[in-house]
Amino acid sequence: MKWLLNALSSSLGRKFVMAITGLLLCGFLVAHLAGNLLLWAGADVYNGYAHKLHEQAALLLVAEIGLFALFAVHIVLAFRLTGGNRMARGQEYAVKQNKGEGDGVGWGRPDSFMFISGLVILGFLILHLSDFKFNDTDGLAPFDKARAVLRTPLRTAGYLTGFLFLFLHLLHGVASTFQTLGINHKKYNQLIRIVGVLFSASVCIGFASCVGWAWAFTGAPSTTPAPAVDQATVSQAEPTPEATAKPEAKSEQTN
Amino acid sequence: MAGRGMNLTLKIWRQAGPKAKGEFQTYKLGGVSPDMSFLEMLDVLNEQLIQHGEESVAFDHDCREGICGMCSLMINGQAHGPDKATTTCQLHMRRFRDGDTIVIEPWRATAFPVVRDLVVDRSAFDRIIGQGGFVSINTGNAQDANCLPVPKHNQEKAMEAAACIGCGACVAACKNASAMLFVSAKVSQLALLPQGEPEAARRVVKMVAQMDKEGFGGCTNTYECEAACPAEVPASNIARLNREYMKAVLLSDEMP
Repeated sequence: MKWLLNALSSSLGRKFVMAITGLLLCGFLVAHLAGNLLLWAGADVYNGYAHKLHEQAALLLVAEIGLFALFAVHIVLAFRLTGGNRMARGQEYAVKQNKGEGDGVGWGRPDSFMFISGLVILGFLILHLSDFKFNDTDGLAPFDKARAVLRTPLRTAGYLTGFLFLFLHLLHGVASTFQTLGINHKKYNQLIRIVGVLFSASVCIGFASCVGWAWAFTGAPSTTPAPAVDQATVSQAEPTPEATAKPEAKSEQTN
Repeated sequence: MAGRGMNLTLKIWRQAGPKAKGEFQTYKLGGVSPDMSFLEMLDVLNEQLIQHGEESVAFDHDCREGICGMCSLMINGQAHGPDKATTTCQLHMRRFRDGDTIVIEPWRATAFPVVRDLVVDRSAFDRIIGQGGFVSINTGNAQDANCLPVPKHNQEKAMEAAACIGCGACVAACKNASAMLFVSAKVSQLALLPQGEPEAARRVVKMVAQMDKEGFGGCTNTYECEAACPAEVPASNIARLNREYMKAVLLSDEMP
């Protein structure tokens, strides 16, 4: 199988791997977002989803290993490709101007800072994992924890920045994947561009809406208040009939 | 040297040899006619330099009619200057204004080492072509016309790719100094035609291997190559290169 390794480590092969891992990570984003949007459906639905997910210990382990591998390959290759590209230029130009329009978004050039946007997303990923995955100490129900974390101004700013850069990364990444995989056809190019923009925007707006939810939601915490609940947020969150009715209504719609 | 015509300030990269340390030098040039081509403007500068006993500026050129691919030059940060679909030799001074400062640099790529001043060694392209940019056929009398049917759209796409003059502007303009547009054009012009079919798999595998060996960068689909290409070779050829490579790796007997 040396031929496959050789092919995958060529400049074209590495790009295929980048594209395929990128696409699979997009699939993960969709699954992750679908789970997160349940926040809007209320505490019971969201907590129920979280508990059911964590009951699948074996499945979760496989998924996490797979995800880690995808991220690792995508990130390591990004460093290697960027390093190789820098080396290929050698001496930088004293003056450099673009002639093309890039992704044609009219402002900025997301395609020209994929590595930077990727780095910001990596930083966000580390923040996000340290908030939710490796922070079990507060004993809050998932629903309350999400709200407590996202409601702090620092996290709100950090998460929204992460989503903005994710949007810029996807704006180039999604459509670019098709070219790398050899799909460039005048019948489909416009469709690919539109799908790329819609996908990037809807995923990032979806995630950002969860931050919005954390600030907008004023209902009761989950049924069992845990000891380490942030007293300030709990005292503010007086259960009013109106507020509790809202998420339930949402959950009916979702179902 | 002021007089009629334009007065320009030229910041030109001077480098005595491949290993020498280069630097920008500034020259004032007056009396430049707007009807001159960019290379004729450099000719005028060189004549004045020679008259003053200085070394003339070395730059590549040959046909001066936009078809040979010898002229290069990064002009104000753009390969072949500000115009689209234009080589440096076809760029005219009317594109600039009196009093302009023009920065002139050689192509910058590890695979294109500077030979002297603005001249770079582009033999990396020749070595890539040597790996497969050809068809092995017996020559002899011309075949009957139309004995090999070629669909018109394939013929047009092949011709579009064959327009590549191998100047290296794609490498120069790409932020990664990638040669994908060049290699994809050379792969495509043959892969699209029946004459190129028998060697298609071997060609793409070997040419890509040589391209990597030469130290060109990878493609990040920013399409600056397409915008800078004086022959307007489209980047859809790069998608074809990707397809041809995948096809060769996965389905043919070729061992990458």
